[in-house]
Amino acid sequence: MIAVTVTVNGTRHDVEVEPQVTLLELLRERLFLRGAKEGCGVGECGACLVLLDGEPVSSCLVLAADADGRAVETVEGLARDGALDPVQAAFVDHGAIQCGYCTPAMVLAAEALLRRSPDPGPAETAEALAGVLCRCGSYPKVLAAVAAAAATKAVR
Amino acid sequence: MTSVGRRVPRVDAVEKVTGSAVYGADLALPGMLHGAVLRSPHAHARIVAVDIARAERVPGVRAVATGRDVPFTFGASIRDQPFLAVDRVRFVGEPVVAVAADTELQAQAAVELVDVAYEGLPAVLDARSALAPDAPLVHPDLHAYPRGNHEIVEHSNVDTVARFRHGDLAAGFARADVVFEDEFSAQALSHAALETHVAVAAYHPASRGYTLWTSSDRPFQLRGELAAALGLASSQVRVVVGYVGGSFGGKNTLVAEAVAVALARQAPGRPVRVELSREEDLTASQARMPALVRLQTGVLRDGTLTARRAEFLWDGGAYASNAVGVAVRGPKAVFGPYRIPAVEYESRMVYTNRQPTGSYRGYGTTQAAWACESQMDMIARRLGIDPLEIRRRNGYEDGDAWINGQVMHGLNAREPLERVAAAIGWGTVDRAPAPHLRRGKGLATMIKETATPTSSNVVLKVEQDGRLVVLCAAPEIGAGQATVLSQMAADAVGVPLDAVSLPPADTATSPYNGPVASSRTTFHVGNAIRTAGAEIRRKALALAGDLLEVDPADLDLSEGVVVARGVGPRATLGELLARRGAEGCSLVAEARYSSAGSPLLAADPGLGSVSTIFWMISAQAAEIEVDTETGVIRVVRVAAAADVGRPVNPVGCEQQIEGGVVMGLSNALFEDLVLDGGRIANGTLADYKVATLQDVPEIVPIIVESDHPEAPFGAKGIGEPAAAATAPAIANALCDAVGVRITDLPLTPARVLAAIEAERAREVAAGGSTNRS
Repeated sequence: MIAVTVTVNGTRHDVEVEPQVTLLELLRERLFLRGAKEGCGVGECGACLVLLDGEPVSSCLVLAADADGRAVETVEGLARDGALDPVQAAFVDHGAIQCGYCTPAMVLAAEALLRRSPDPGPAETAEALAGVLCRCGSYPKVLAAVAAAAATKAVR
Repeated sequence: MTSVGRRVPRVDAVEKVTGSAVYGADLALPGMLHGAVLRSPHAHARIVAVDIARAERVPGVRAVATGRDVPFTFGASIRDQPFLAVDRVRFVGEPVVAVAADTELQAQAAVELVDVAYEGLPAVLDARSALAPDAPLVHPDLHAYPRGNHEIVEHSNVDTVARFRHGDLAAGFARADVVFEDEFSAQALSHAALETHVAVAAYHPASRGYTLWTSSDRPFQLRGELAAALGLASSQVRVVVGYVGGSFGGKNTLVAEAVAVALARQAPGRPVRVELSREEDLTASQARMPALVRLQTGVLRDGTLTARRAEFLWDGGAYASNAVGVAVRGPKAVFGPYRIPAVEYESRMVYTNRQPTGSYRGYGTTQAAWACESQMDMIARRLGIDPLEIRRRNGYEDGDAWINGQVMHGLNAREPLERVAAAIGWGTVDRAPAPHLRRGKGLATMIKETATPTSSNVVLKVEQDGRLVVLCAAPEIGAGQATVLSQMAADAVGVPLDAVSLPPADTATSPYNGPVASSRTTFHVGNAIRTAGAEIRRKALALAGDLLEVDPADLDLSEGVVVARGVGPRATLGELLARRGAEGCSLVAEARYSSAGSPLLAADPGLGSVSTIFWMISAQAAEIEVDTETGVIRVVRVAAAADVGRPVNPVGCEQQIEGGVVMGLSNALFEDLVLDGGRIANGTLADYKVATLQDVPEIVPIIVESDHPEAPFGAKGIGEPAAAATAPAIANALCDAVGVRITDLPLTPARVLAAIEAERAREVAAGGSTNRS
């Protein structure tokens, strides 16, 4: 067992994990944060995307032990006091959600993009979010939502 | 303000965007075990011996199940499939032994210690070989299986035969100036829902019953299938379905469920969870059925269709699963939205030693429309008629007779085609934006009927706080069911949309519903909601009249508030129920809608069973760019229109239309489950590519409206017609761009390049310059 200290959505957790446990398993099965999904387990679908020290990662490819001392953001940490953050609100308002299985990952990928690049064009957004698959094909509305979120954030 | 017709945010959006929506894969129950499966490495083999002794000794293992422990078979149309293989495996990936353990790792470790000895059998790996007189039989006992009343060929691999004929074929072909004969093929596809097949099953020894928490589009049909397989009364099985992470026609039979049930029997009191890995999901769940379609079409010189005969050969895979219905009904779409005086199809489905297949968004329409719309363009080009014009010339109009003589009302047959043609700028194209690039435009249209007759029941309940609960077994599979049903319920009763909730579907508490399939939910459940909603409204106003001492006729219910005419707001629904005080009160109403017996179904004698309660027509126009040096197709723009009746939520319609184009494009260009010696060669999402955000063209979604006499709030369906026209529209654009016709899917760069090079070689051989028609 390995002792891991990880900050998730601002809360510090001290946990002991077996060496092979992934960050995704830690989040879902130990911390009961089930927003991140396992769509393939091998880093090909993006459904498990979370932010690790602000960077998007496939949490199925990161060992929990490697998150020691680092900060993780999941979709559960975005809304504050019940108010959706601008990206979440834009996804709701622009119909960017269908079955929703990829939504937490798509939202976090957009969040990371907008922090890095506050006013991305469609090609930049498409490139940044291309690692998250959406079989329902919500892509056009995701593009619209990200553009709208960028505009909202710029106003704030 | 009414809710129907407005662009409302989806009712499930906030739950989903905050990560709190609970899907099948998220379920965790106390004492839950985790299952793992040993799968067949052989396409066809006899199981000689199974040794589970070492697996049973792995710490944490609570149950090991083999086929002999579960001596039952299941299947929606033919009971041909064991829960775990018994003495024979029929496809690579077939479940053979399952283990349940405290953790998934323990279960997987134990599975690796199971020893199975096989003796190889000759395998049948494609549909044509399955028909050979000396072909090995995938199911030698086919004739003895319990099954429905569809036709089979005993002692062969043919597990479905379906025929349809209407009109004078001989006369139609005799009258034709030209008879076209072409063959088309459509490949095996994975539904590739982001949530893989997943289920939790629990066995209850006292009642000998089961509870199944699963991601399925059809709680009641799944319950029926499982109960029939196990020899139980249907109410001994309870099926609960929360949010489903995508289905597309793929989550409709016992996949993870069969293994979970097999293990739960061996571990009474412990729920068992089984989740397929992505590789298992791609290679060993269900696929879209590959099809070979042979079309014979008679045409006059002016493009008028006189007769069409179609032969379908479906590669159904190792078990019939839900594919029988596809083989029986799917071919109807091959006649397109066209007036053809004489039509005939013969459809045969065969067993092969590959993963089972089944329905896929469109129920055979994607394969049928691929053939129909490719050939329509081939006819147009050959006769020198504009592809839009030939479709206009043959297109249905309201009041025309469908293939069975049923009079077509409630559809807008013409507008989808006209709208997409206008949106794409039909007739003009910037042919060569660069020396190695060629652009072209293509059109396709399609028609889809809906499963008829089917029924839906709902129960509406007003809670003590005035909230409206809709009990119906219509899981939200992603297509927006929960939102449109909530909107219709809100308006039918007179409450605001945010006062409506739809709990997870549960066969123990929800009344019967048909499947969330065939684009039927909005129409059928909506009709039941409309009726039950009116009843709730009457009861609410009667209660208000009673409590307020006012004649109910002078009261109205709007936005959840009872308003007295000429007086004003008197009480909210919640306040009314609260006035019952300690005595307590809820308002309940139930209703059923069935399409059976509708006068709209009248057809020519003997053909009534083919009738449909509504039709959906869609059209797409694509502009593409072909790199003539690499064969890569880039889709530039797609205009897509669908006749939805009246949109309940226009945003939801756009989601379906846009999503259908994305899926259709992905199916057309990238996807193919490649079989190599019986094994799927591309069982990962790295090798089985699906469209990403970077593959998406500009999409112009167009909602077309029509008036259907029996539609609730005017709404028909949209889910399936959104996807089928994309592939032929792209192939037709390809032909427009570079003059090559490809009749096999997918349109890979290698295939496109080979076709371009063959065309160049032909031109050189002919010694002439390009003369593209």
